[in-house]
Amino acid sequence: MDLDALLDCVTSSSCLVTQTTSGLIVGMLLFMVAAGLTLIFGVLKIVNFAHGTFYMLGAYIAYSTFAFTGSYILGVLAGGLGMAIFGVIFERVLISRVYGANVLMQLLICYAVVLICDDLVKIIWGPDFYAMGMPPEFQVPPLFIAGGVVPPFYIMLIVVALVIGGGLGLSLGLTKIGKIIRAAAHNPNMVSALGINTTLLYSLVFAVGGMLAGLAGGLAAPVRSLTPGMGFSILIESFIVTVIGGMGSIGGALIAAVVLGLIRSFGTIGFPLFTEGLMYIAMIIILVTKPSGLFGKEIV
Amino acid sequence: MNRIVRDIAIGVLVVAVLAAVPHLIPSKAFQDFVIRCSSMALFATSLNLLVGYTGLSSFGHGLFFGLGTYSFALLMQKTGISLPVAFIATLLITTVTAIAVGAICIRLRLIYFAFVTLAMQMLMHSVIISWVGLTGGDQGLQGGIPRRVVAGIDLGNQYNLYIFAAVVLVIGLLMMRHIVNTSFGTSLRMIRDNETRAAFLGIVVWRVKLTVFVLSAVFASVGGIVMSLFVSGAYPELINWPISGDAIFAIVMGGVGSFLGPTVGTMILLLLNDVVTRQTEYYGLALGIIILAFALGLRRGLLDFITERLGGRPAGGIS
Amino acid sequence: MNQDKTTRRAVLTGAAAVLATPHIAGAQAKAVRIGMQATFSGPLAQSGITHRNAIEMEVERINATGGMAGRPIEMVYRDSKSQPQEAARVARELINSDGCEMLFDAESSAGSFAVQEVVRDLGVLCIHSSSETSSLTADPKYRVATAFRSGRQGIHDAIVGGAYAAKVAEARKLTKWATCSPDYAYGRDTTAQYLEYLKHFKPDIEVISQAWPKLGQPDFTEVITKLIQAKPQAMYTALYGGDLTAFINQGNIYALFSAMQVFSVNLADYTALTAIKNLPPGIATGNRYVVTCPDTAANREWGEAYRKRYNEYPTNWSWESSTGMRFYEGAAKKAGSTDPKKLAEALRGLKIDCPFGVDGTVTMRAEDQTVVGYAIGWGTTLTKPPYVADVKPADWGTIFELETEWKKRNGFI
Repeated sequence: MDLDALLDCVTSSSCLVTQTTSGLIVGMLLFMVAAGLTLIFGVLKIVNFAHGTFYMLGAYIAYSTFAFTGSYILGVLAGGLGMAIFGVIFERVLISRVYGANVLMQLLICYAVVLICDDLVKIIWGPDFYAMGMPPEFQVPPLFIAGGVVPPFYIMLIVVALVIGGGLGLSLGLTKIGKIIRAAAHNPNMVSALGINTTLLYSLVFAVGGMLAGLAGGLAAPVRSLTPGMGFSILIESFIVTVIGGMGSIGGALIAAVVLGLIRSFGTIGFPLFTEGLMYIAMIIILVTKPSGLFGKEIV
Repeated sequence: MNRIVRDIAIGVLVVAVLAAVPHLIPSKAFQDFVIRCSSMALFATSLNLLVGYTGLSSFGHGLFFGLGTYSFALLMQKTGISLPVAFIATLLITTVTAIAVGAICIRLRLIYFAFVTLAMQMLMHSVIISWVGLTGGDQGLQGGIPRRVVAGIDLGNQYNLYIFAAVVLVIGLLMMRHIVNTSFGTSLRMIRDNETRAAFLGIVVWRVKLTVFVLSAVFASVGGIVMSLFVSGAYPELINWPISGDAIFAIVMGGVGSFLGPTVGTMILLLLNDVVTRQTEYYGLALGIIILAFALGLRRGLLDFITERLGGRPAGGIS
Repeated sequence: MNQDKTTRRAVLTGAAAVLATPHIAGAQAKAVRIGMQATFSGPLAQSGITHRNAIEMEVERINATGGMAGRPIEMVYRDSKSQPQEAARVARELINSDGCEMLFDAESSAGSFAVQEVVRDLGVLCIHSSSETSSLTADPKYRVATAFRSGRQGIHDAIVGGAYAAKVAEARKLTKWATCSPDYAYGRDTTAQYLEYLKHFKPDIEVISQAWPKLGQPDFTEVITKLIQAKPQAMYTALYGGDLTAFINQGNIYALFSAMQVFSVNLADYTALTAIKNLPPGIATGNRYVVTCPDTAANREWGEAYRKRYNEYPTNWSWESSTGMRFYEGAAKKAGSTDPKKLAEALRGLKIDCPFGVDGTVTMRAEDQTVVGYAIGWGTTLTKPPYVADVKPADWGTIFELETEWKKRNGFI
């Protein structure tokens, strides 16, 4: 414990600005992955253990597209689009066969997909780790805001993630399809009885979830290492976020992800050891006191 | 009573056959296989007490498997007590831990139960990784397990460990078989099928759940002890998330509805692992495809599938 | 990395084929089977693959020049999937059912300790080529008479790194230090030892901030900003592999590397050097493997031969395994036999010619059965190949002196 250091930090504007943006950037990328996870769970009651794989594949696709075209934007879009398509195939071919089955059967199928994809990545891209490298347009010195250091690339990431998250929230709240999705989360039979094509709806949910994870992978590719199996640590953190925010609640996921990011950024100053253990303790406390999470509705 | 006698007779027969095998086929790989199988089958069957019989899907059962390996290996390394005493002490440690963990976890149901058990296991994993002074952290407990002698028999010797593992497995399975066949076992199935109705019928649901949670933890811990003897130590991988996954896959592939399903599933998984690892480094690819074929082709565990084909109804069952 | 993808795939498939079909041994003498288990899958697959690449080269060369005491070598490779319990099982299987006469262990630290216990139980001959944990061979508690190490050792790196850093710190008046290392035993031990020797050579330094990111943590931003906030003059990091690459890429956009002098013990490995797209110049780094350390014809030749064959430069793992195979070769020559007992006897104190030796030779030190005399050095990074300049090889006299002192302090001798 180093509470003095923490106190010093929160009272200095430079430290406050730097650590807050650093917490936001960690949180926003995590949010994009967790949002898909929580959406899929909310509507389909499927715990998608293969979600980290979506993130990994998105990053690799973005990497290759960037290497081929030299365009970061194309890379990110390709990652998102590729994973939207992958999500649909995954849902149609595999997951649709186990709706209503025991969660362990779903786990088994997702695990098989994780194993297969990790090896496919190794076959296609090789076992080495890669880094995309910073796109030239972002190779600029960091900005100084109120004495704090903030890289422009991260400002872009935070804005993009916010726009996507906000867009998702708005379209769920305002558009017709969004209302149908929310209705399906509450009562799938009713939606189906109203003559709405639930098959299409379920594929759409997986497409959106896959796209979000793929975009996150692509967005993060310039600064994170690409390696087979890289989805695993993201998956665990996404689970923590999903559970704390409330399984099925996108707004909850956003807040939980940002809180987790801030705990990490200020935790590393105040109590550098055992931050991971603290996450699990938080998860247990939330589950026991309010199983539906901070912002979730009781689903069971 | 007849059933118990029959089960015991089968158990004795299995041990006798296993004891004879090395004299006919001197394959040490086979002995290693049985030792690992004993460890993982105990672990998987104990998990099935929760999953298949009580309807509690735990994602964190590896906590108790790992606790078994670490407690036992630590007791053997750091204290001078003999192996049987360490064995019993490990089960006591597991019992106490399981009561505490279970008291928290069983308040939750369904996916929330699954996640809270997972969080518990990961918390324990973090503690073991962080507590380097005691556990060796990520490097594991090094230096081997000393004094592996029970009643003059050295378990450092492979054949002896093989017999020991076989006996422990058979006794463990017999005990668990007995548990599910008692009225307590009936209560478990009633809770699985309809918790509210079970409560109306006078079953104190939380007490039954906690009891089965602790019992299954103890058997998982025995599996951990066998593993600890096999690797002569304890490693964080043995308490990490994927180890719980292994047990889950064993019971799903073998069959949650059959008592021997988890044992069969363990044998399938270990065989797959050993055979595929020999053939290719793309183990994940091969295993993934086989798992998919299982899950989508049979849609249930192997033993459940066979039972249903033969016209029977599996004893337990979810999904 | 920048290689052509098709070639990479061809290499991989070739490697897979090698794995699937054991070599056809020479007809005249029964082959010596050596079992090698390592990580060939998951995030650390690269380690097993580049260990094996080097072994393949050595086996071909050794077999072409008479094998081990007239018998050709036949390798059997197995994947342990980074799991110690699987490493233990596979090691037993290699000996018990695949007819291997000796082991070649290329596991990282936890796995190597699991294999060490198998070696103890079975009494089989084994060379560890990958584990850098000093206690594996230094601590008599863990030592086994038939187990040897052909790879580098944490304590050696700490002494050399500390001495080099002290010189730089003295010249450039770097007194305020920070550290950033992975939060597990390797990271904590090497960082503590490094600081200990840094203070030994330059007592007036002060450590003002320490960060401990998790292993495999995808994002280091909060660690980077914490380090920048602390405003140290110098920083030491024991991060490696993909984590180091991510750390440098993320540090770059915060201009971390112009804010302080960074000392990175694990950067000078081609895996990292080529993966980082905008390598900042002037980072001080220890050599994992570079063709310029030792700066000899033999080392360059070996590095180039490897690059020609696999279309990428060798890794630290490659030289460690290459050295291990050379020790088996040398021991067989000295013993005139492939009997494991005689080989073990021959290995103790064996000095062999080796491209990675600081003076062209390396020695298997008899007292703790570990390799000494290999080239360790520190240099600074360049943005382009050869990536590292001014590599200063370390003086083994100093290493021996301080290592002995360290062993005494820990009660190892």
